Amino acid sequence: MTTNTHAKTGRRQFLKLVSTGLAAMAMSPVLRAAPDGLLRKAIPATGEQLPVIGLGTWQTFNVGSDPELLDARTEVLRAFFDHGGGLVDSSPMYGSAPDVMGYALKKLGVPESLFSAEKVWSPAGGSAREQFQQLAARWGLPEFNLLQVHNLVDWRQQLETLRELKAEGRIQYIGITTSHGRRHREFERVMASEDIDFAQLTYNITHREVEARLLPLARERGIAVIANRPYDGGRLIKGLKRSENVPAWAREECGCQTWADFLLKFIVSHPAVNCAIPATTRVEHLNENMRAGNKPLPSPDCRRKMIRHIESL
Amino acid sequence: MSEWSSYRLEDFIPFTADVYYRLLERMGEDFWPLHLLTLLLGGVIIVLVLRGRARLACLLLAPAWVFVGVGYFMLRYGELNWAGQDIGWGFVLEGIMLAAVGASGLGIDHAPRFKTLPVMLGALLGVLGLFGLPVIAPLLGYGWFQAETFAIHPAPTAIMTLGVVLVALRGIGLWVAAVIPLAWIAISGMTLLVLEAPWAPLTFTVLAAGLLGLVWKTVAGLRRLRGGGAPA
Repeated sequence: MTTNTHAKTGRRQFLKLVSTGLAAMAMSPVLRAAPDGLLRKAIPATGEQLPVIGLGTWQTFNVGSDPELLDARTEVLRAFFDHGGGLVDSSPMYGSAPDVMGYALKKLGVPESLFSAEKVWSPAGGSAREQFQQLAARWGLPEFNLLQVHNLVDWRQQLETLRELKAEGRIQYIGITTSHGRRHREFERVMASEDIDFAQLTYNITHREVEARLLPLARERGIAVIANRPYDGGRLIKGLKRSENVPAWAREECGCQTWADFLLKFIVSHPAVNCAIPATTRVEHLNENMRAGNKPLPSPDCRRKMIRHIESL
Repeated sequence: MSEWSSYRLEDFIPFTADVYYRLLERMGEDFWPLHLLTLLLGGVIIVLVLRGRARLACLLLAPAWVFVGVGYFMLRYGELNWAGQDIGWGFVLEGIMLAAVGASGLGIDHAPRFKTLPVMLGALLGVLGLFGLPVIAPLLGYGWFQAETFAIHPAPTAIMTLGVVLVALRGIGLWVAAVIPLAWIAISGMTLLVLEAPWAPLTFTVLAAGLLGLVWKTVAGLRRLRGGGAPA
């Protein structure tokens, strides 16, 4: 009897632990390493695993109709998928970048790992639904994984349409974006009050304002976070590469062989962040970026040391 | 932090340096050997304006602006920057204005003083736009097709036009005809600055020289009207 009761209690406790664990997994991005070595974190809304390094397309994929550059960007995308990359983020504001994605995907085929992230942006003209249709045609895809309201422009009406598209199964997730630390108060209000799956914001080792409120709120509300401008528009990594070597302790303690490792591992090791989206025009830089998504990630102590180091420069 | 203070210049340039240089190169490749003709046309325009045939010079400048507006901005640059179409229309408008000035004679300076600073600056800018800009890219190790040429690429077209109107026009007509070239030279300079092009400072020097010439000529014109002496 006693044994039985203990057994039942044990089972209950076990089931409780499992369910709590699953819930926790769903609420915060839990790290998983895939066979290709690239770490993945769960999207809180569904538990779907997303590689921690994605690909931004601002400036870099805006090449117009130039065949030479179209092929060069296709090679960048090929390398990205070869590494197991998933999230590619674009916007109607990025000139020809969505067309370039369409060109590259037609040439490469649409890999299973692709997690397509687009945005709606009022100044581009047309309704959110029309923009979605145009963007899908430009990418050559029937649907997007994620559709975001770019820079919160007209977010109330845009989110309404995004919700309709989600209900129709045309998109899986909806989100909002900001960058450069803009409109954080409003961003926080939307995160707190609206039912969204993703929040995209600027977070890097020199711009950590979001650590105070937005990242904790994302964890609390079960919102996945995409970190844009991981290299502060390229200035940060260029400056470091020009003048500094990666400190020996960072190699030993944090597994950072390159500055790309140092900067990207710092970002994606934050528990609230799902994914960083560095942009590049070059395959060798892409390779560097993707390697940063492999184990190990810095510990909290190591992260503090990284901040102190960058602040001391 | 206010929203606008968070923007940097690079946030308004939606492409990378290699894309921009490749755009210049594509214009060069697509229209070669039109360059030879446009250089000849530019030379004729400078000779005409220095010989007092300002109206004809303005008329010949007009198609260069329309060609760059459509061929460069609307058909190519517009793919990279959503503002490209509007800038293209701005270039077409400049072409129409120059044609109108040439046809009507409004704003023409019938007695340009060749030894005054604005006219000398104008002649210098005209020569720089026509012959100086095309050699910058090859001298700095870029390909010949990246050489920016009058009536093919916007910067030399704007610089040369600024020089020509400084010599050829006066009063409000001078300012009206100079606004779009000045605006493009400023945008071009900021673009080159963001893309870390080594010749970006030259563009700002041209802008400053053009503005100096405009202000100088305007002040001199006002003094003449009031019966005073012109600045030396």
